[in-house]
Amino acid sequence: MGHRSEFSLQTLAVLADLCATPSQWRHGYGIARDTGLKSGTLYPVLIRLADRGLVEACWEAEQPTGRPRRHLYRLTPQGLAVATAALAQARSTDRTQASASVGGRRRAAARTAP
Amino acid sequence: MNWLTRLTAALLRWSAGMLPPSRRLWLCALWAEADEVPAGWLRLAWLAGGVRLTVREAALGRRLGYPLAFAIAAAGVAWSAWSGPPGDSAIVINRVDVISIVAILAVLPRVIGRARGPVAGRLRARLVRTSGYVTVLALVLVKTAVERVADAPPNNLEGSVRTWVGEVVFLAVMTCYVAVVLAYTARRSPAAPGTVGIGTATGAAVGVMVYMLGPLGFPLRFTGSWPARLYDAAMALGVLLALCAPVTAGLVAARRSSRSTPAASPTRQGAMAGLCTGATAALIIAVLSTATIASLPHDTVLRVWATAHIGQWMPAVSQLAPIYGPHSYIGYMAGNSAFAAGYLVVLLLSPLAGCILGAWAGWVAGSPGHSRPQRPRSAQAPSAGSPSSS
Repeated sequence: MGHRSEFSLQTLAVLADLCATPSQWRHGYGIARDTGLKSGTLYPVLIRLADRGLVEACWEAEQPTGRPRRHLYRLTPQGLAVATAALAQARSTDRTQASASVGGRRRAAARTAP
Repeated sequence: MNWLTRLTAALLRWSAGMLPPSRRLWLCALWAEADEVPAGWLRLAWLAGGVRLTVREAALGRRLGYPLAFAIAAAGVAWSAWSGPPGDSAIVINRVDVISIVAILAVLPRVIGRARGPVAGRLRARLVRTSGYVTVLALVLVKTAVERVADAPPNNLEGSVRTWVGEVVFLAVMTCYVAVVLAYTARRSPAAPGTVGIGTATGAAVGVMVYMLGPLGFPLRFTGSWPARLYDAAMALGVLLALCAPVTAGLVAARRSSRSTPAASPTRQGAMAGLCTGATAALIIAVLSTATIASLPHDTVLRVWATAHIGQWMPAVSQLAPIYGPHSYIGYMAGNSAFAAGYLVVLLLSPLAGCILGAWAGWVAGSPGHSRPQRPRSAQAPSAGSPSSS
């Protein structure tokens, strides 16, 4: 049985999204659109990640025209390391579980075969 | 749709003030992005997520939920106790009881909180604290119900003094109960983890058992010889179990605390477990029995049952007061078997007895001859919550 990640699936989705372009600043609605998370789920995840020092946040430097300034997010160096490790672990767990289920199906098929 | 979005936006703006400053900027961030979200259901869902964020981060469930639930429960008890002619002494006593108990329950957490801190984060502590509050309010509720059917105290100075002294003692005892509940479930509780849970669970079981053996506060009488013998045997067993309960709780709590927190005194932990056992049992007995007494004059089935089972006691009681009919007679019994003497004595003595028995058990558990041999310490000691390696 694989180890359970310390992060929830929603947190892993946010980490994966931020990990895709680690140097770029991302805004909340963009992350929500990419991950499919609702704002009520996304922002608590971002808050916890920021509290742990895995995500840094800042406001847009200049006032854009026609809309308010956005709050921007990106992974810290520590966050990038943690996210890479967590995503790798999640992938390996997925593979282990998938192979276990395929193996289980094969064994069951072999048992039922005449 | 627009009005719903505007309403949610207004709610979000209003609720931002509830958040601590460090969290408020996150709500501003969510708010700033709302214009980016396509209008309609998506924007509404985005803003609703902000309301959810506020509720979650402001811990409104705890900050508003508990006080609101307490206010509703207190209002319900007050409404139940308040009605009646103001000149009636029972109504005056009821009103004093309700005002005093609600004030005690509202103010004491602040007083105890200064010394012991807020409620501990554990679910068990919250459960014990909430159950304690519910039980105390229930006790006041059933007590006020019994006061209505109880006989009036003698209309002289001695009778009034006796009544009010009884009330003062009752309120002082309730203050001690609430203080113990608050202190033992606080973050800096003197009780080791597990001690309060062991004591409370044991006390609840004893309370229910004692109530089942004597639901009206005194032993039942059966006319048939076979049921009477069976009941006498159950009573003997019940008394034995009731005496053994604080000892067992004290023993278990002392042994458990010596494993989890070696610095804790076993005698002290045993005493606290015994105190919890006695106090919980007394509260449950008082609430259930008084509730039964309160419902007696109104419930025909219960009245018939009581007449059949406690019939042999009636002549003795009837010497104390004339019987005008079955209703007034049962009302008289209800008044006398309520708080005037019986349950107040139980509420006073049961925790003391439990504390003494639990302390003795803790002392026995901690004495060198009776303590269990310690396992040799390995390089890495197991944590308190880890499963045993047997």
